[in-house]
Amino acid sequence: MTGKGFLSMLLGVFKRFVMTYVEDFRKGKKRYYTAEGIESRRKADVQGIFTIQYPEEKLPVPEEFRFLPFLVYEEGPNGEKDLRCTSCGICAKVCPPQCISIVRTNDPVTGKPVPQPKEFYIDVDICMNCGLCAEYCPFDAIKMDHDYELASYTRQGNIYDIERLSKPVSYYAGIRPTNYSAEEHARQEKEALKAAAKKPAATEGAG
Amino acid sequence: MSDETIQSSNYEIPPEMQGTVSITSLDKVYAWSRKNSMWPMMFGLACCAIEMIVLAASRFDIARFGMEVMRPSPRQSDFLIVSGTVTKKMVPQIVRLYNQMPEPKYVVSMGACASGGGPFKEGYSVVSGIDKYIPVDVYIPGCPPTPQALLNGLIALTKKVDKERIKTSEWYAKGSEAAVPVPVLGPDLMDPRKYALIYEQTHRPIEPEIPAETEQKEG
Repeated sequence: MTGKGFLSMLLGVFKRFVMTYVEDFRKGKKRYYTAEGIESRRKADVQGIFTIQYPEEKLPVPEEFRFLPFLVYEEGPNGEKDLRCTSCGICAKVCPPQCISIVRTNDPVTGKPVPQPKEFYIDVDICMNCGLCAEYCPFDAIKMDHDYELASYTRQGNIYDIERLSKPVSYYAGIRPTNYSAEEHARQEKEALKAAAKKPAATEGAG
Repeated sequence: MSDETIQSSNYEIPPEMQGTVSITSLDKVYAWSRKNSMWPMMFGLACCAIEMIVLAASRFDIARFGMEVMRPSPRQSDFLIVSGTVTKKMVPQIVRLYNQMPEPKYVVSMGACASGGGPFKEGYSVVSGIDKYIPVDVYIPGCPPTPQALLNGLIALTKKVDKERIKTSEWYAKGSEAAVPVPVLGPDLMDPRKYALIYEQTHRPIEPEIPAETEQKEG
């Protein structure tokens, strides 16, 4: 019979439609807008509707998800921002599409370079989210962000300056806890080794 | 509806008719209905198109925003999603399709390649940004933007449409708008004699800052 396949398709849609209400009744309100609700709707054997109601609820991103780079700064006790970046320019050199541009700071008196970026621009309409800058940075100063809600009405709004790129360490620790703790651990170990190497030399000098 | 919202329009109501007559502006209803039935025209060019297809499927489902189905024809669509690397060979077709769309028409530039050329910005065959050829309303960064990032951009577009008013919007102004000159495949792409017209057509007045959609994500 002609149209049999079409009817069976409609039956499938109708079944899912009914199952949505059955599931809603069975699980109640926690099926929507809660973390466990999203998790249950992501499974392969999900019954009923599995649409993510985007602006209200969001699909959680994995820890290694990377979108655009950002600069990490340490927060001082009085709220001052101390960027980890030393403007060495390694990220700008390794960047495959060359979207990073850095202006170094010079000491106004002596004219010698200061390890701090004066300006730091990333053209996010060129960035290809590869993460090489974060991979190569020797100071853990540039990291990949999780924030993807960045639509803008102008092209100029997509050239991010140092203000837009800077984010605190606490934010980085929040989005990538595993990476952050591993890096902190490595740093502490390094410092301990350094202190241990210094100590015998100091005692020898004294003796 | 309270009195304040009824009287909120800028029309003068004689004192003897206060409270008995209400003048609402049709604008708001018009913009509201328009923003809730934006039909996209698909223009998948590269890897971003895969994310765009995911958007139309049931996981993210743009029908929730009244965008229903991706239209394959410019005559039935309200906005164009340019998703992917725009090559010089493809630019004439995009501009021609844009000209064929009925007004009001909008363009969403999806992904790094469409907005700024992306990693191919210096390629011999690639156009570094579609905004040199047609006016772009919303730029979505990312390589590629995730379906949710694209949805965020489309919501920003509906917000822009919601703000448009018949009196001020360019679409309802007098005088017919000239079509955007179609580029010609060749060394120049743009006809040098039409530079002024192209500039005029592709530069829309700058809109106010995008409203913050949600708070910073955590975790």
